[in-house]
Amino acid sequence: MTAETGIRRPYVGQSVLRSNDPKLLTGGGRFTDDLHFPGMLHATIVRSTLAHGTIDQFDAVEARAESDVALVLGPDEIASATGMLPCVWLAPDQRMTHIPIVSRKVTYVGQPIGIVVADSRAAAEDAVEILDITFAELPCVVDSEAAIAPGAPLLVPEWGNNICAQVDAGDPRDEIEEVIARAAHVVERRLRIQRVAPNPMETRAVVARWDAADESLTVWMSTQTPHHCRDHLATALGLRADQVRVIVGELGGGFGAKEHLYPDEVMVCLAAMRLDRPVKWVEDRVESLTATLHGRDAIHRARLALDANGKFLAIHSDILGNLGAHPSNVGLGPFRVSMGMLPGPYHFERAGGSLTAVLSNTTPTGAYRGFGMQEATWVRERLVDEAARELGLDVVELRVQNMIQPHELPFTTRTFQPYDSGDYPEGMRRTAVAARAEANVTSEGRIRRGLGFATHVEFTGLGDSRSQQIVGFSLGGYETAKVRVDPDGSVSVTSGVTNMGQGIDTGFAQLTADHLGIGIERVSVRLGDTASAPYSATGSIASRSMTVGGGAVVTAAGKVRNRMMAIAAHQLEISPDDLELVRDASGRDVFQPKGSPDIALTWEKVAESAWLNWNVPDEFNTIGLEETFVYNPVSVSYAYATHAVSVAVDLDTGLVKLEGYWVTHDVGVMVNPMICDGQVHGGIAQGVGIALYEGMRWGDTGQPTTTTYLDYVLPLSVDIPDVKIEHMVTPSPFIPGGMKGLGEGGTIGSPAAVGNAIAAAIPEIAGSLLETPFSPSKLWTMIDEAGLHV
Amino acid sequence: MKAEIRKIALTVNGQQMSIDVEVRALLSDVLRHDLGLTGTHVGCEHGVCGACTILIDGESTRSCLTLAVQADGCAIETVESLGSVSSLSALQEAFRDNHGLQCGFCTPGILMSLCAAERHGEDLEETLTEVLGGHICRCTGYQNIRAAIEAHWAKSVTR
Repeated sequence: MTAETGIRRPYVGQSVLRSNDPKLLTGGGRFTDDLHFPGMLHATIVRSTLAHGTIDQFDAVEARAESDVALVLGPDEIASATGMLPCVWLAPDQRMTHIPIVSRKVTYVGQPIGIVVADSRAAAEDAVEILDITFAELPCVVDSEAAIAPGAPLLVPEWGNNICAQVDAGDPRDEIEEVIARAAHVVERRLRIQRVAPNPMETRAVVARWDAADESLTVWMSTQTPHHCRDHLATALGLRADQVRVIVGELGGGFGAKEHLYPDEVMVCLAAMRLDRPVKWVEDRVESLTATLHGRDAIHRARLALDANGKFLAIHSDILGNLGAHPSNVGLGPFRVSMGMLPGPYHFERAGGSLTAVLSNTTPTGAYRGFGMQEATWVRERLVDEAARELGLDVVELRVQNMIQPHELPFTTRTFQPYDSGDYPEGMRRTAVAARAEANVTSEGRIRRGLGFATHVEFTGLGDSRSQQIVGFSLGGYETAKVRVDPDGSVSVTSGVTNMGQGIDTGFAQLTADHLGIGIERVSVRLGDTASAPYSATGSIASRSMTVGGGAVVTAAGKVRNRMMAIAAHQLEISPDDLELVRDASGRDVFQPKGSPDIALTWEKVAESAWLNWNVPDEFNTIGLEETFVYNPVSVSYAYATHAVSVAVDLDTGLVKLEGYWVTHDVGVMVNPMICDGQVHGGIAQGVGIALYEGMRWGDTGQPTTTTYLDYVLPLSVDIPDVKIEHMVTPSPFIPGGMKGLGEGGTIGSPAAVGNAIAAAIPEIAGSLLETPFSPSKLWTMIDEAGLHV
Repeated sequence: MKAEIRKIALTVNGQQMSIDVEVRALLSDVLRHDLGLTGTHVGCEHGVCGACTILIDGESTRSCLTLAVQADGCAIETVESLGSVSSLSALQEAFRDNHGLQCGFCTPGILMSLCAAERHGEDLEETLTEVLGGHICRCTGYQNIRAAIEAHWAKSVTR
């Protein structure tokens, strides 16, 4: 699809309308479940109904006898046909490093244990009902503190406990303790971030087709990481990578949940290979809430130490992270990032964390928008607010006085984060000025009002590769772009990142058009097919598509432009320095000698001659107009933001209403401000869900109790106020194009801002606002216990 | 386990048809998989998220909570009945201009609810609260959906 016409260069910085919106608005988007192939069968995954136990019997005789059932595979058949999935991010001495596709040992409700394939999804679901499966039940544990208590049920008995790994970060513990011991003031709290489910509106989905003659597997799937899925499918199914092609159509949101290959997705491909027919599987919402990775679930025992003047001295957190039934693809990653990003934008003499990550009989936890940074911000910013309250200091002034100053950047934190550029205090001040001028903080009767702040620095644009190696993350941190001008002058761009609804394809078209110097209507961006996209193990995660992927596009486009200029200059018999590429009065892109508009070569003419290899410079050692550039950034780039939110809390119901929201955000160069704002809006809404509504819960027997949207509450329009965004623009000092990532910032800052606003509204309960979500019932109880109900 | 089949008559986006459906088949599945109208999306299958909303005899309805046989004799409208890629409807234009969608999965259902609201002469406030309140969007934070509705109501909707 090409973008709209009519807008003139430069496109970067303009709110160019998104190229694929017309398709999405008319029902023409092709999501995975929209695909249909002749002879296609439908799969349902058989899942554990127990939290902990062993499968004694998996009897499918009756189901297999049904005329509309094509295949049933139980745990033994699947296990004998599949290899293990490697965990990609490993902690030192992590006790579990590979995940079997299936096992007779079940460790959470929803764990895939088999697959049924039938003529229709309904027939497959019917057949699951007549499987004869018996389990031997074992005692279970769902809570992380219970999992490390003496006598806890053990998921891996030979370990002797449920601890999968322990990692420290930052300064040595004894140095941190020494600083805390001499501090005039220490704020210490136990803070908790609940278990949440990412909930993309499109659930996971797979259509797999095996070509027996060609011995190749084509898989259409809803994923953020097509090459990663291809590699792991090949590993799990015993195929060569070149036998597997993964294609991503439209993606109905990902938010981190679709950043790796799941065991049930392997089962669908195995079934297609066995049957030699296309097989479709679409996860239902109950499965999405129980079998797609969750996020968060961390308990922090955290301390902030200050001197008598309110200067921050040290911050430390002992983190207990709940991995769920097994370490996910990213394992301890989110909890480790919490330690790394705990210092935020502030100076500390010493900082660090100690992480204990445990197994429990729950859905595994993995990547979710904010990836440890939301948790770190919740902990740090609540502690800072508590310090201000206890010391009688202004929450904004306390923050500003402790911030890293712009002239100190680049600055490496005590947890080894090389912050690059920006002005953190200015962002804080701008937010405070706007919010304090506009927020209504006047309480009326039983309605209390308050204004809360939170500020953070955000790790964006995962790479470089060397740093990935240092932290044990087996993903290349680079990204590749391929830009080609075809003989008719049209331009194709591809990259290893994916469009998951954020609109990266439109952003790439803007970058390409600018760096080629032509109209955007010539540019089409195609992503998500491993047969045509450059290799990317990492894909669209970690707010990196526009930073690392965009940096590659900028550079590749610039190289193609240089080639075009060299050919045109050669044909006009002038130096490229004397040549310009302009859009003439009739709307054509033409090369002309500077100051001589009467002599012109059209873009199309140059493209055509390049591919004919006629009249090109003698020194050219390649033919054509295609450039591939692999961009490996020198470092992560760091965005930052300050959030402010005003709330009204009804003391009699505990209901929190957000009345105003202000953000100052610096994401470097904004390629498309409309899309940037949209990312911030959407991120904030997900953070508000964490702050007020969302949460996975389990009963004592490990049965999840929040398996529909009636029980798992997501924010609706009425819950989310309009957000006023102010942008600061500090270009990244090293990313070509100057962009920084912004996909996650909205989610990182908002829960802490909401918590601090409630604390400001009801200072009587501020000290106990430590565990999200603040549902009306929870807040009502706290208000009641504070004696505010008379 | 063969389910009972029944023949039903439908008018879908103006086209009359007679089709055989399983009596237990959901209307959402029949539209998507039997009729190939995949613009109607299924987000939760329990009637909460609103992605599957279509119009049945002009009333916005959750197609995931409706059996196909219940729609026998009815006129059905889906997102495919609105504008085309080359000629978006005014409401679709408002969504595009205001960045009222990101992944686009929930969008068709929202558009159909808004179509019904527009035809029923709902005012802006009612539309922003009650009508939009029937839909979950995980991408936009709703702000730009509200902006699109406000723009469309200001420009195109007559009371």
